[in-house]
This record gives sequence, C-alpha cells and structure tokens, in this order.
Amino acid sequence: MLQVLIATGLVLAISAAFAAVLLVAERYLVNYGPCKIDINDGTRELDVRGGDNLLMTLKGSGIFVPSACGGRGTCAYCKVRILDGGGPVGPTEAPLLTPEEIESNVRISCQCKVRNDLRIEIPESLLSVREYRGKVERIRDLTHDIKELRIKLVEPEKIKFVSGQYVQLEAPAYRDNPAPVFRAYSISSPPHMDDTIELIIRLVPGGICTTWVFELLKEGDDVKLTGPFGEFHLTDADSEMIWIAGGSGMAPFWSMIRQMQHDGAARPCRYFFGAVRRRDVFFLDEMRQLEQELEWFKFLPALSGPEQGAAWDGEIGLITEVVGRHVQGDGEREGYLCGSPGMIDASIEVLKAKGVSDDRIYFDKFA
Amino acid sequence: MILAQPATQIEPGSALNLMIILITATLTENMLLTRFLGMCPFLSISRQLKSAFGMGLAVVFVTTCTCFLNSLLYWHVLVPLEAYGVPAESLKLILFIVVIAAFVQFMEMAIERVSLGLYFSLGVFLPLITVNCAILGTSLFMINKSLAGLDALVYGFGAGLGWMIAIVLMAGIRQRLARARVPEALEGPGITLIVAGIMALAFIIFQGMIKL
Amino acid sequence: MKQSPQEARIVERMQPGVLSRDGFLGSDRRSLGEIIDTDRSALEGLGVTQERLAARMAEALKAAEAAGGAPVKVGEHLLAEHREAMGRIPSPFPGEGVFRKGEVELTDERTGVKVLMTPLSIHMVAAHGFFQGRGSRYRTEPVLLCDVFDLGQPAK
Repeated sequence: MLQVLIATGLVLAISAAFAAVLLVAERYLVNYGPCKIDINDGTRELDVRGGDNLLMTLKGSGIFVPSACGGRGTCAYCKVRILDGGGPVGPTEAPLLTPEEIESNVRISCQCKVRNDLRIEIPESLLSVREYRGKVERIRDLTHDIKELRIKLVEPEKIKFVSGQYVQLEAPAYRDNPAPVFRAYSISSPPHMDDTIELIIRLVPGGICTTWVFELLKEGDDVKLTGPFGEFHLTDADSEMIWIAGGSGMAPFWSMIRQMQHDGAARPCRYFFGAVRRRDVFFLDEMRQLEQELEWFKFLPALSGPEQGAAWDGEIGLITEVVGRHVQGDGEREGYLCGSPGMIDASIEVLKAKGVSDDRIYFDKFA
Repeated sequence: MILAQPATQIEPGSALNLMIILITATLTENMLLTRFLGMCPFLSISRQLKSAFGMGLAVVFVTTCTCFLNSLLYWHVLVPLEAYGVPAESLKLILFIVVIAAFVQFMEMAIERVSLGLYFSLGVFLPLITVNCAILGTSLFMINKSLAGLDALVYGFGAGLGWMIAIVLMAGIRQRLARARVPEALEGPGITLIVAGIMALAFIIFQGMIKL
Repeated sequence: MKQSPQEARIVERMQPGVLSRDGFLGSDRRSLGEIIDTDRSALEGLGVTQERLAARMAEALKAAEAAGGAPVKVGEHLLAEHREAMGRIPSPFPGEGVFRKGEVELTDERTGVKVLMTPLSIHMVAAHGFFQGRGSRYRTEPVLLCDVFDLGQPAK
C-alpha cells in the first residue's frame, strides 16, 4: 500500500514540477510586455501589449486596417509596411507577397506577431477610419434581391466622408456563422447627411453577411461598422462624366448625384445603368425626378435580357453596347465605374474605344 | 569501417564506444526502418523534401534532448528511489511521456521567442512530434541497453539522425514516384509502405556490422 | 492517418462560416484527401484531366460574364446565365489570394440538369482537383460535369 502511495506521489510530484516549469516559461517567454508602435514617422504613437498579431493590435488601438478574411491570412488585404522590428517573413506571409513587396518591407499584418517595438507605415487615410455604432432606422426592398439599409449613427454621431467611399459592416456571429465578419459596402447616402449611412446590399447566395442582412436584420437592431475607406471619388475636373454601374453598384453614384444636387454642382453627367430584366431596375422614378431638376444629368437604364411582353421603353442591350451607341464624337470625358470585375473590364474597353484615356477612368479596386 | 564482433564489450565512455553507439542507433537499428517506429508522420509528412527535412531536424533535436533528460531522470532519480519501493520499470513509461510533452511545449515557446526564423522552419512540426512514438521508443531502448550520460545523449542523437535520414530518403523517392504510374489501388499509403519495406530490406545490410 | 498541419489549416478554412456561409465541404464527412482522391479516380475513369475540364468551365464562365447577366448559349445544348456579386472571396488553399465572386448557372437543355460554378470553384478544380464536398452548392459530380460538357468516354 505504501508503495502505491509513494509511486503515485512521485508521478504527481514530477508532473507538477514540469507543469510549474511550463507555467513559469509561459510567463516569461510568451509574455512580450509593453511595446511601442510608431506610425508614419511619429504621426501617431501607440503603447500596446505585445503578443497579438499586428492587425488585431492596431484594431485594439482604434486603427482599422481593412481585412476580408478576418485575420486568417488568406485575403492579403491587410498589408502594412513594417520598417523596423518586423522580424523574418513567415511561411504564411511569403506566398501572398511579391518579391518587390517583400523587398520594400510590406507585410501581411494579421500574420505578424507584435513582439517588440515597431515602426510601421500605413496609408494616411486609414488614420481617420473610426468604428461606428448605429441603429437600423429603415430596411426596404429595392428589388427581389437588393435591399437598402438606412443606419442612424449613435456613437460617434457623425461621419465625415467623400462620395464613393465605403464602410465595412460587421455581421455578428449567428446561426450559420461562428464569428463576426466584415464586408465592404459603398455608402449610398450623400456626405451632407452626416448622421446617417445608407447602404445598398444585394443578396449573395451563401454569403455570410448578406444572409444575415436579408434573413435576420430588423429595423431597430444595433449594428457596428468601420470606415470610411477607399480612394474612389469624383475629380475636380469640368469634363463630362460617364457613369457605368448596375445593381448594387449604384450605391456610390446614388451618393454622388444627391450630393451634387445639394451642392448645386452642374457637371455634365450620363449614368448608364445596366440590368438584366425589368424587375432588376430600381429608383427609376427618383432618377427621372432628378433628370427633371438637373438638366446636366441623364439616366440611361438598359436591359440585356428583357422578358417577352415586359413594359419597357428604355434601352435594350448589353450596357457596354448601349454606352457605345450613345457616346459619340470627341470631347473630354471621364469614366466612373462600379460593378463586378468582368463588367469593369468590359466597360474600360468600350470607354477606351471611345477615346477616354486610361488615367481618366476610375473605379473602386476593392470590389 | 568499424568491424566489431557481435556484442563486443568496448570500454564505456571511450570515443570508439560512442562511435559504435552512434552508428548502431543511426543505421543498424534505424528507428524507422528496423524498428518501424514513428510511421505516422513518416507517411504523412514525407511528400515533400523541404517539410521532410524540417520534420527530421525537429525529431533529431527532440530525441537527443529527451533521451538525455530521460536518462538523467531514470538513472539518477527513479533508480535510487527503488530503495524506497518505487517501481522504476513501471513508472518510466508515464514519466518519459510527461518529460517529452513538457520538453516539446517548452521548446516551442523558447524557439518562437529566441529565433523566429528557426520557428518558421521547424517550430511548426514540434506539436506533431509529441505523439511520435519514435521519441518514446528511443528513451525506452536507451534504458534497455543501460546507457547513461554521454552514451544516452549520443544514442538519442543517432536515433533521431537515423529517423531523419529515412524520412528524407522517403521524400526523395516519393517526389519521383509522383511521375510514376502507380496502380490505382496502391496510391498513397499503399505504395509508400511498399517502398518503406524495400528500404528496410536495404538497411538490413547494416545488420551484420555491429551489435550493441 | 494524421493530417499534416497544412492540411488541417486548409480544412479549417473550408468550414462553414469561415470564408463563406456554407463552406466548401457541404455535409461531407470524408477527409479532404479522400474527397479529392475519389473524384480524381472518377475523372481518370473518363479519361479527362482536371485541367481540361476546368478550362471548359472557365470558357463557359467567360462567355456568360460577357453576356452581362442575360442567358447565353455556350455550347450546342448548354445555356449559361451569370449572376454577378461584388467583392472577392479568398481561396481556402494558402497563398492563392482572392477570387471574384459571382456565380454562373449552366443548364443542359437535353436533360434539364443545372450546374452552378464560380471562378473560385473552377480554380480549385484546375489547381487541386477539388470539386468540393457533397452537399456544397458549387459541387457537381465530375461524371455529371463531364457529361454536361461532352467530355470523355464512360469506362466500359
């Protein structure tokens, strides 16, 4: 009996001793202590606790670097330049970076652990990105698969942005989704409505965020979003603008046109809206109204696959064909595009064929 | 080329002794090809040369250190305690596993802290190694052969080295196999085990060299 | 057999709610390696390579995209319709970056069979021979897919 006790005691003692060693090791080895992060050469300095990855650490200090995969190291949107203290490039980062990027110290911030003081460089605009809490004021259906969300900002109460920028909406954990994700949507409300954000959202089959918006989100719900992000915006030029967008791509333009109306701007503009069937067209009445008020604005919707017998007296054909038909002759023009990459590529082709130079065609590269 | 009679007694602690231990552990009693221990990671990690090499290095490191630590634990703690009725033979299994697991955990933390470069190349394999039976096997064989101190250290190193040689060879062969026409039913584990068997046959040539 | 750490990470990214709502494995309980191996055997039985099949799928996708959402004929008896979606989805396989969203629905006019595919699903067929787990929205059995594209001769 005594033997059993001694033997058991010995095993317990040795196991406990090792456990203690591990706990002490963890306390000293894994604890990275306080670290300083210098952003943009002293523009901002953060005092943070080391040990977490850079993306999350920055987020904890109110700096929101865009990410589509929630820090899992697959989307490569969270690139940040680490000038000092970044350590070697890890095996999960290397496949996502080009040799030139690695050379210039660009890193995937969600895969870099903060272990010591860092000097980093991020785009200036990211420093004015904030996290907003809001309440859903209104949800309405625009088409069978597109909804408009109106969100009243609660904290902070106002947002400052430029038409064409986007926000990242947080879809919380829900039945099909174990952890919050962020998805980008262009702001469709004009900047002068600075206490509200409107978004135009199209249902994506199997989409984490859109399933939540379409099936679970209700008026009065609280939402979180970060922003504003993006470099897509109108220029100061006077030349005619050709806008091409369909479906939820209307969002930035819905913001732009209402802001221009508010500012009393008068810049010649033709908006080509591509859709497949009559039921995919929305805001038709609102656009016709704007055309009446603003004589420099023309709205040209076109259906590429209208059903037989549908009442439609507008243009018919692929939107790029319609653009080709209407844009004639010489003239300084600028192109603004919003839509899927396929549609953007085709639109760039037709605009270039009409003499619009490459550097005068703008689109949001995030989409 | 060392030619020694079977079960030759050579003066312990001498360089020749250590050399014999090393060669025995690496070649004639190869952990993987003679004893068939550590087959799991051998089959799953040996597809690519680079990861096989990384895994092999990690195994060498862990086997060497844990064999030495376990020899200290056994000969200097357990055996003296036998006087108090502690059954060293029965307890060694549990305690060796505890040592190996704790060591690997500790090493993972230490390597990540000290050298990120090293962590990226072999640190990711460390959690897989804890359950590699070749590591435990090395310690147990070391007890069987009554090796201690420096002998145990060299034995551990040799065992790990032998395992690494085997997995690197296998990875090289598998990379070539990728282009060969293997019958459908044998693809994957089937052909790998056949190749392992053939490699084991080849390693039999070392058998007659030395006996420890 | 144990999964290598790389494979375990990939399977983790294929779970529902990580990159897409339903993930890439559907309701399939088999391991990733088994899913890929089984589908590969099916393709070999038909004498079709994954690259060739994926190339045909990509052709159909391109034609459907160019038609801007209207249904378009992409083969003798194949109709394709593109439904666009903005944004990009990362590949669950490491280092492959992000792929355009948006799906194409193919209808085989002879049989009425419908097939759904996306740029990512096509890429995974081409690069990994991965057709996704049974029950996934974008999985089509390789045999059915070859039939829709008139590829390969059925064995025996």
